[in-house]
Amino acid sequence: MKNLAILLAFVFVIAGLAATGTRAVEGEIPAPPAIGATIEDFSLPDVSGTERSLKSLAGKKGTVLLFIAVQCPVSNAYNERMEKLAEDYKAKGIAVIGINSNVKEDAEAVKAHAAEHKLTFPILKDPGNKIADKLGASVTPEAYFVDQNNKLLYHGRIDNSRNADQIETSDLRNALDASLAGKAIEKTEAKAFGCTIKRG
Amino acid sequence: MRLVRIATAFSFCLLFASFASFAAPAQKQKGRAAKPPTKSQKPIVVAPIDTAALKNILSEQRERPLLINFWATWCDPCRDEFPDLVKIDSEYRPQSMDFITVSLDDFSDIKTSVPQFLGTMKANMPAYLLNVPDPEPAIDLVDPGWSGSLPATFLFNAKGEVVYKHFGRVDPNELRAAIDKLVKKTDE
Repeated sequence: MKNLAILLAFVFVIAGLAATGTRAVEGEIPAPPAIGATIEDFSLPDVSGTERSLKSLAGKKGTVLLFIAVQCPVSNAYNERMEKLAEDYKAKGIAVIGINSNVKEDAEAVKAHAAEHKLTFPILKDPGNKIADKLGASVTPEAYFVDQNNKLLYHGRIDNSRNADQIETSDLRNALDASLAGKAIEKTEAKAFGCTIKRG
Repeated sequence: MRLVRIATAFSFCLLFASFASFAAPAQKQKGRAAKPPTKSQKPIVVAPIDTAALKNILSEQRERPLLINFWATWCDPCRDEFPDLVKIDSEYRPQSMDFITVSLDDFSDIKTSVPQFLGTMKANMPAYLLNVPDPEPAIDLVDPGWSGSLPATFLFNAKGEVVYKHFGRVDPNELRAAIDKLVKKTDE
């Protein structure tokens, strides 16, 4: 009888864990770091498989990390704006790095997508969504701006609308401009809106 | 010994059933082929809604709980959970609960992909599409703790308080339990 009780207890524990796991997959995205927190250096493979560190790609005056996607229509609506952002701020000392954390979009797809949409900034693949988890990124597109010391200065959306003709507030650009001008960033967080990052 | 053998067999059955239910959603996704709406089905009308109108809905006097699901056609988990929501709608809305859906698709989709998807799902609940230049005030209005990620499901009691919320694909049984709790309280 004792063996029976132990066996049944074991089975119920396993069944319970399996049921709980169903919900954990979708619901539990780690909280993003607070504004002012320092982001640790990290390395991820680029679309050719070469490991690239944040430090090696960082701009002299800061870096924008953009979580992007291949198939997300919201992220794709920002392709031109993201490329323009990278071009405009490169000369000013701020680098733009794309990160693709979607489990279903492999490096080949990311490479082809970048070529098709003429995205020239480096795009890293985030296997196992390690960096998405570390930064608490939940959607694409979602932006993080860190200064030259990797201190997080801004987190959130690029601007208010996926439609370029309805832009009212360019929150990310405002943050970059304020930082470059040595001024305090007025809005350090703005809710990013887009497709949920498909985690593995 | 015989008893232990029977128990072992029972345990394996239970384990199998447990993991089968764990894997079930993925299987459902594959089998959900899009079917065009039948000719007899009423055409789906999706109404535009702005932040002020959404605020009116949330703040109006009501006698029944209100379930709101925010979704988009481009959001995979939104599409995946829709059959469960349609079922829950048919179970509760006729008698005890209001239910609306708010799409966050682009406004240009209001007469095309959004009603087409709802028609395919045979979704009859009132359907809106958020038509705002900036979604942030609407997101904050519903729940300041909501990041804006989709899908997002909120259950409001008759006082307009959020009593249940879920980000990501809903667990239909969990949602039913939350509604049952509220409907019972409302009826008391």
